[in-house]
Amino acid sequence: MDYEIKLDVFQGPLDLLLHLIEKEEVDIYNIPIAIITEKYLDYLQTLKMFNLEVVGDFLVMAATLMQIKVKMLLPQSSFNPEETFEENETDPRWELAQKLIEYKKIKEASLTLQKLETHQSLVYTRSGGEFADKKITAAVDPLKDLSVWDLVDAFKIILDSLEEKPIKSLPKQEVSIKQRMTEIMDLVSKEGEVLFNKVFFEVKTKLALITCFLAVLELIRLRKISASQSSVFGEILISIPEKVSNTA
Amino acid sequence: MNLIMARAIIESLIFTSSEPITGKTIGEIVGISEHTVKQIVFDLIEEYQRSKRGIQILEVANGFQFCTHPECAPYIEKLQKVPRNVGLSQAAIETLAIVTYKQPITKAEIEALRGVSVESAITTLVDKGLIEEAGRKDSPGRPIMYRTTKQFLKYFGLNDLTELPKIPEWIGQNAAPNTETEPSEAETDVGIN
Repeated sequence: MDYEIKLDVFQGPLDLLLHLIEKEEVDIYNIPIAIITEKYLDYLQTLKMFNLEVVGDFLVMAATLMQIKVKMLLPQSSFNPEETFEENETDPRWELAQKLIEYKKIKEASLTLQKLETHQSLVYTRSGGEFADKKITAAVDPLKDLSVWDLVDAFKIILDSLEEKPIKSLPKQEVSIKQRMTEIMDLVSKEGEVLFNKVFFEVKTKLALITCFLAVLELIRLRKISASQSSVFGEILISIPEKVSNTA
Repeated sequence: MNLIMARAIIESLIFTSSEPITGKTIGEIVGISEHTVKQIVFDLIEEYQRSKRGIQILEVANGFQFCTHPECAPYIEKLQKVPRNVGLSQAAIETLAIVTYKQPITKAEIEALRGVSVESAITTLVDKGLIEEAGRKDSPGRPIMYRTTKQFLKYFGLNDLTELPKIPEWIGQNAAPNTETEPSEAETDVGIN
């Protein structure tokens, strides 16, 4: 690959864990560590393909999860005296649970700020020629009730269904993210609303799929398209965000 | 000077000021008490609201400022052809939320909470003038601490930090936005002793 793209849409390991916990509907204080670890590693596999800057942080959390898992398997009174003074004989999951609860509050607080930001972005002051400087924020949330993890979920399904056919000849086919973005925009503006799956319809290789997915994420980041989901496990729809006038 | 005249003058002062103008400044110029100024301004604010005008006076960062009504935004944008910038990224807004509620706070402390590096988010926020350095923490390495700025209040249309909703049972030293660390108008160095 010629160049790498780094995205900061993946919010980090705590965000992913929270997503998993909410998705599996489990108690934050009583995390079924085996199940969650397994799911987490599953995601990590997908994430690795995106060449993320933050993969290191995700690996640290994976190690933490596995460490907790191991500790849960050990009898409560551990043989290793060095372990116990640190852990204070409490549930090995306690610390993680605290972190997650703190993180949840941060998410709530950032939601509040985001709402204010959106509202304030529609208010102009009369500061002469400063219009160009004014930071305008999109008035519509392109990810409505979705999180980036929902998109990764959907992408995983597509990825899993991919059967790379034996290749007879090797036509050099390189599609850049930029090109993909244009194609997706064309498709969405022509059809108005496109199923998430359909975006990947014609794409046959893993690399192209990833390129395509990154293009979708980039378009969402630029707020050129938005993604929505009608029901919890329903199909994800890609569309062009409504004009601000409707929401103001 | 009668009340009607004072009202007109105050309105003109807010109108010509591109930055939020404080009640104190207005009071000094007009030669009346800050208290009276505020009463007159609140009266003006109400009048603009009542008559559903396209402009309004907002109380932002402890001052008053003329602003347009949010519903007019799409049309203003058509006229000004302003590029539709995206807002702060999720990483930046989360980092900002932490600084807002836990200030002053160091980078390492933010990272511990987010579980991920915040280097670039901090750079973005400092560049945008939403956070600033607030001296150094008295701990090994004397790390830099951060706090929100006046620009932060303007960006989010807040008068002061207490206007933000409180987060219940937030673990940590500052359970709510702390007024003590509220950015002062004098943007001088607050640094190290």
